[in-house]
Amino acid sequence: MKIITFIRRHFLFCLGMFMFLILLFFTFFGEYLPGIDRDLKEIEYIWTDKKIPLAPPYEPSDDFLLGTDRDGRDLLSLIVIGAKESLMIIIAITFIRYLIAIPLAFLAHKKSFGIHHIVSWMNGFLSYIPSIILVVLLVTLPPILISETRLLYLIIVLASLEVGRVAEMFRLEFAQISSKEFVTGGNSIGVSSFRLLKKYLLPFLYGKLLISLVGDVGKVTFLLGQIGFLGIFITQVFVQVDAGQFAFFNTSLAWPMLLLNSYNDIRSAIWIPFFPALAMTYVIFTFNILAQGIQKLAK
Amino acid sequence: MGWDFLKSSFVFVIIVIGFIILLLAPRIMTVHNLGGYYTPKTEMTYKENIQAFIHDFQTEGFGENRYGTAVLEELQAFIKRDLIIVIPAFVLSIILGTFLGVVQFQFREGPFGKIQAFFSWIFSSIPDFFFYIAVQYALIKLFYVGLPQFNLYGNDQWYSFILPMIAVMLYPMLHISKFTFTSLENEVGQDYLRTAHAKGLRTISVLKHMLWNCLGSLLNQTQFVMLYILTSLLIIEKLSSYFGAGYHLYGSIINNEDQRTLAFILPYLLLMFMTVIFTKVCRHWLVPRKSGDSR
Repeated sequence: MKIITFIRRHFLFCLGMFMFLILLFFTFFGEYLPGIDRDLKEIEYIWTDKKIPLAPPYEPSDDFLLGTDRDGRDLLSLIVIGAKESLMIIIAITFIRYLIAIPLAFLAHKKSFGIHHIVSWMNGFLSYIPSIILVVLLVTLPPILISETRLLYLIIVLASLEVGRVAEMFRLEFAQISSKEFVTGGNSIGVSSFRLLKKYLLPFLYGKLLISLVGDVGKVTFLLGQIGFLGIFITQVFVQVDAGQFAFFNTSLAWPMLLLNSYNDIRSAIWIPFFPALAMTYVIFTFNILAQGIQKLAK
Repeated sequence: MGWDFLKSSFVFVIIVIGFIILLLAPRIMTVHNLGGYYTPKTEMTYKENIQAFIHDFQTEGFGENRYGTAVLEELQAFIKRDLIIVIPAFVLSIILGTFLGVVQFQFREGPFGKIQAFFSWIFSSIPDFFFYIAVQYALIKLFYVGLPQFNLYGNDQWYSFILPMIAVMLYPMLHISKFTFTSLENEVGQDYLRTAHAKGLRTISVLKHMLWNCLGSLLNQTQFVMLYILTSLLIIEKLSSYFGAGYHLYGSIINNEDQRTLAFILPYLLLMFMTVIFTKVCRHWLVPRKSGDSR
């Protein structure tokens, strides 16, 4: 009975949790489910009823629930198997963003090293130029483009882009808490800056931190989707395709990479970009609902 | 006001310079054969690249594209297509957003307001690219069933701009609507409202007064709205084969055409700058200076 009242009272939180658990289940156990092709077998062609060979991509049908991509790989299997990598990238970007932003916010609040100027300039810059253009400019820099640890660089670039926004948000929170008496008390007995941050300021913000962290997961997913549509690889190999001719090839299975060819797919095989985009929308929904649920729970 | 304008112009110039500095980082690579290993290396250093850019800019301006058309000429055609989407999307998202916010506020306690709040929350969680693909997918399926067929892609038809425009303006509109709703809710309980109600003013006139007082905080959002529209325009133009400046901007970045990139980003930055100035002017002329002692 208690559970039912809890669910009724915190419906959004429970719904978010439920969706989150489904997501986790498919991420970690999805590949063992029946109907999921773990080897991602490629199909060259299949024979139609009239004995005509038909090349992929195939439409969603009974054989392929969500259709196949241009190599004939089952799209459902691709999405399920790519989930782990996609979620890992999304979560890593979000966490790194906050790990950089909170010390930055504290330094900006303290006005040390001129960080507050840097943060405000960063925000000014980003409120003028579409962030996606900056991403393109940064990740096509040769040191990042040909690096072995490209994924790490990409994560750091994507994380640090919106660091300014998060830092500014927490700087305002710090400023608000700092006007309270106990902080003045702490300052007067001479606690160190680190202790002030850890024991005086942050404990009041854990709730807000969690809510905005969970909410940001959705924003990061959105950004990753945009990157996919623009055709930026996450991990790649540099391969010789002809004498003196070199090209990059995608080696990642993450969801944004299924959107790479969307410019052509959208006019011939629209299900190829549709279902990965649907999966990303599901992630965005889950975390948005969860963020709202936690917010209501905290009240 | 004049001082404000100077300051904004200064910031604008700094941002353009910052963008150019970022743009000119050396990108063009050639592949060297070092004892059997092929290693790509950049052709020029940063300094050489900047010098080359300045030299090119002085001699040929923005230059020509790969097919020999002057960049400024092609830009004119493309930017016109962009403006057909951007301007209506901007105006509509602000007007419709405010309207939706007011409606939601007025019926906030009834079932209608709750349903509206639910739907606006759902739609603001849907990423615009998914919305666009989903609409296209649904329309393609409907064409099979018997919906009269029309052109979904490209920019040849007079109606080509409508679908991209809706995709681009959906989120900013809902953002404004949410914002209007919250700031209207913050006004509730103020003395001037009680006076207005006591004098027997009609609800619509009271709402007008409230909206006037919220204008200041609403105007803060215009820059965000414009930025969001321009950002998603890049993606949506690619998805819809609507060849505007955004589509070509991305292409010229990838192909390392520095002058062309600059030529294509400048209108975007100018649009942002104009939005900032427009907001400042509106704030100066329209926003009431003193509205109640409680602020």
